[in-house]
Amino acid sequence: MNDSQLITPVEDVSFRDKHRFTLLILVAILVTFVLVLISMAIYYSSGAAQLDLSRPGYKGVRAQVVTNDSDFQNYSSTGSINQNTISEFTTLYNKQAQKTKAVDAFGGDPLSPDSLGIGDVSEQSSL
Amino acid sequence: MTDQQIDKIRTNCVSAKNTLNQLHASDALLRVNRGQIYESMSTKLMNRFNSRVANNSFNNNNLTIVTASYESTLDTFRSDYIAYEERLSSTLAIDCSKQPVAFYDAISSARTERNKVHTDILKLNSYIDQYQLAVAQFEKDFKTSSSGVKK
Repeated sequence: MNDSQLITPVEDVSFRDKHRFTLLILVAILVTFVLVLISMAIYYSSGAAQLDLSRPGYKGVRAQVVTNDSDFQNYSSTGSINQNTISEFTTLYNKQAQKTKAVDAFGGDPLSPDSLGIGDVSEQSSL
Repeated sequence: MTDQQIDKIRTNCVSAKNTLNQLHASDALLRVNRGQIYESMSTKLMNRFNSRVANNSFNNNNLTIVTASYESTLDTFRSDYIAYEERLSSTLAIDCSKQPVAFYDAISSARTERNKVHTDILKLNSYIDQYQLAVAQFEKDFKTSSSGVKK
């Protein structure tokens, strides 16, 4: 066998063969970029972003998240129905209902121009 | 919108933005904590009681109707909160010293979205009361049927 037959001439190597590793890196970056875009779109559209208090700007309130709701008891979905079990449920439900309704969530009007100090001056002075 | 008000927005731009930032954070906390409680009401109590009633071959139609309405309102609350948060975030992105009118309009829009979230909360509270009444009615019917069987 002749050694010269095994050597490929330089002019015959294609651009793709020459930059194979660089192309691999570029394609990998492109795929990663597209996947990140898709996951970010899902993250924002699903509402997960609104529940994610690890985002910047929520540091002050992060510690106030209730992570332990052990006082909220599960009512058993199995078992018989009698006066005692109904009373047990009613007591449990009324207790939680009272707690749930105790806070007027998203009430008030903190976004009114007056609350933000950007209300109409003429209206305020005429009052 | 008067020129005076535009000036006032420019003057109080920083303090208004600080207030909005605080509200943004506190409302997010409220969404997480209250959302969890409202969800537990249906998953830990309503659905479980409905299943128990159905498993014992009692009529639970009234209970399931209220639960379905409650869960549908809970879904509306979730989507309305997303809309509100997005609106508030876009408001915070506006430079109020350069675009006071756009800032004012964005706040009005966010305010409307927040009111929708509050309405959802009021509806959820109303369904909690309605479920309480449905349980009371069920209890009454149960007592009647039990006493009928005993006779």
